[in-house]
Amino acid sequence: MRFRSTLVATALTIAVAAPFAIAGSSADPGVTSTTILLGGTSPLTGPAASYASVARGAKAYFDSVNAKGGVAKRKIEYDIVDDAYNPALTVQGVRRLVEQDKVFAVFNTLGTESNLAIRDYLNQMKVPQLFAASGATTWGRDAAKYPWTIGFQPSYAAEGFVYGRYVAQNMKKAKIAVLFQNDDYGKDLLGALKSGLGRSGSKVVAAEPYQVTSPDVGSQIAKLKSSGANVLAIFATPTFAIQAYVFANRLGWKPKVIVNGVSGTSNIMALASEGGKNKVVEGSITTNVLKDPTDPRWKNDAGMKLYRSLMAKYAKGANVNDVYHVYGMAVGYETVGLLRRLGANPTRAGLMKAARSLNDPRNPFLVTGIAVKTGPGDNFPVQQGQLQRWTNGRWVPFGGIWQSKRN
Amino acid sequence: MTPRTQRVIGVVAFAAFVVFIAVLPSFVSDFKAREYSYVGIYLIALLGLNILTGYTGQISLGHGAFMAIGGYTSAILMAGNEQFGGPISGGLKDVWTLPIAGLVAGLVGLAFGLPALRLSGLYLALATFAVAVAMPSTVKRFEEWTGGGQGIQLFGIPERTGGISNVDVLGRTLTPNDWLYYLAWSIALVAFAVAWLIVRGRTGRAFRAVRDSETAAVSSGVSLARYKTLAFGISAAYAGVAGGLFAIASDFVNPDTFPVALSIFLLVGIVVGGLGGLSGLVFGAIFVYYLPLWSQGQDLGSLLPDRIVEETQKPGGPAIVYGVVLILLMFVLPNGVGGLFRRVGQLLGRRRYSPPS
Repeated sequence: MRFRSTLVATALTIAVAAPFAIAGSSADPGVTSTTILLGGTSPLTGPAASYASVARGAKAYFDSVNAKGGVAKRKIEYDIVDDAYNPALTVQGVRRLVEQDKVFAVFNTLGTESNLAIRDYLNQMKVPQLFAASGATTWGRDAAKYPWTIGFQPSYAAEGFVYGRYVAQNMKKAKIAVLFQNDDYGKDLLGALKSGLGRSGSKVVAAEPYQVTSPDVGSQIAKLKSSGANVLAIFATPTFAIQAYVFANRLGWKPKVIVNGVSGTSNIMALASEGGKNKVVEGSITTNVLKDPTDPRWKNDAGMKLYRSLMAKYAKGANVNDVYHVYGMAVGYETVGLLRRLGANPTRAGLMKAARSLNDPRNPFLVTGIAVKTGPGDNFPVQQGQLQRWTNGRWVPFGGIWQSKRN
Repeated sequence: MTPRTQRVIGVVAFAAFVVFIAVLPSFVSDFKAREYSYVGIYLIALLGLNILTGYTGQISLGHGAFMAIGGYTSAILMAGNEQFGGPISGGLKDVWTLPIAGLVAGLVGLAFGLPALRLSGLYLALATFAVAVAMPSTVKRFEEWTGGGQGIQLFGIPERTGGISNVDVLGRTLTPNDWLYYLAWSIALVAFAVAWLIVRGRTGRAFRAVRDSETAAVSSGVSLARYKTLAFGISAAYAGVAGGLFAIASDFVNPDTFPVALSIFLLVGIVVGGLGGLSGLVFGAIFVYYLPLWSQGQDLGSLLPDRIVEETQKPGGPAIVYGVVLILLMFVLPNGVGGLFRRVGQLLGRRRYSPPS
């Protein structure tokens, strides 16, 4: 016993006496004479692994810029850390990127909850949280409180509002049934849909939530059908959106469908139409920001040609038709633009300043006519979209480019 | 080796380990200390799970859920849930929430131990798995208590010691990461010692009897009901403390923080560490924390060819590497790291007592 306490005492003495090193931080970490280091988390594994294409698309774009000499003679390195869509792992990964790898900025981290989990930390550390890949309204709305955080895509609130306005203007006395994911994402869309309907004769007659962890949405669709609604709004992630179409068809329900942009990609719609057997899909409405690789409209488009050539060269083996790659390239393109503006001596503060004064009307990966724009009082980079209708197996745009003034 | 020499060796090894843990932060970067504190946190959870699974033979695929209970208990006691319309105002310092987190999770574990008495083997595994699966939805269901999917933020709140600024403790100033390290590891070492005291005595013998043969245990006067529920309670309390620390370390809890996969990783951790042993669990904890990182090329970037690192950064890449390493490890060390220790010990012992020729 005596021996043990001696040991413990020795241990404590050593521990107290030992000096401990605190890594000194230079003014702007992550920048060397030849490289500039960005980092972000992405779900490379787990239930949301399909979103990993976003990070891969951005990486492919950076690689193409690096092949041409990089930005101000610096190569852009992009370190992707897997968080399996688990915010606790996002926190660990982002701390690692900031404290150990010393990134210049945290870039393109994916998921609403994941970005929320790291926002306070990054703002405390004054590290840019650049282009958070999530449509939560808070990124733009709370920019004054969180000056180091900025999103990219239109907010879910803006998107939901556009659907509401569309129904209010084009359908008389529509009765809408809503299937929504039981989290901020689904609730943002639902709330905005209602406010977009305003005082028109149309209203939401039923809203059924589902949990991300639930196996299917069959019972929700059955309940929504029994509400007697003639419009079905699907505010869901892809797997559940496909299920919603399939169950509606099996129940013999033929509502007009609104499907949110996250699930309204061509490949998802093709799956939902069950090889043309499922007619519920026909006439669906969604909104879109990105150029869809499967859309014949962009067959000869310069941006889409660039996209295909970069995918062939820097993302060999990846599915070119996966629109999430386009998203990644779009944010990669904007980031390169920002870094170019910073010139030879990039600083973190300079990066945020540049991100808050964006004006790029021609991002080649976004639908023509959609601008990336921020400024005083406007902290939402993309606030426009294109309504489109699923007709004979593909999306057909209609109406002009919509613009969200609210947020 | 006589049991006495074995015990002396054990105590000396443990003391050496304590010294090692105490001085380690002086030799590594501040950030590494933060990572090692996660190893300590997983060690606590593994110690508890091993009492249940390794010593008592009851498989639990739901320990992530007990960690969630501890994590939410700590988070709610610190930040309160009045902001969501709940009844608790919070305000308790982080360190004091940990015993309560252990207690609450332990009580739930005891309660769960009762129905578990009627189940064994695969059926018990399935029942505990169901708890892990149901946990995220349950947390979202009681939004006014838990904040729903958005979760509870702990970063920078005053109840969080060492969240932002350095901590003065015993006349020494610790960085936030070093503070977390010493907090996690002092609890882990105490937990280790307590686990050792439990398993080496009468209770541990009863646990092992239940594991090896329930019939034989009952006929020797061991109460199955008592020891099975006790094992569940102790083990859940360990998980609760680990969960509380996990919430503090992450400065955040939400339902996705404790996914089903966590429960499975914990089980993998005790298998790698060695069922029915304690010292190997340190390696199990290292495995649980680091393998997901190593399998995506982190930290090993300079050791591996670029070609491989590139593959691991593609969708699904890390999962494949994880699986391959796990399979290889089970081939090489079928009884885990603890099994290797035992084998080495046996070999040494045999040599010493081999008759002179």
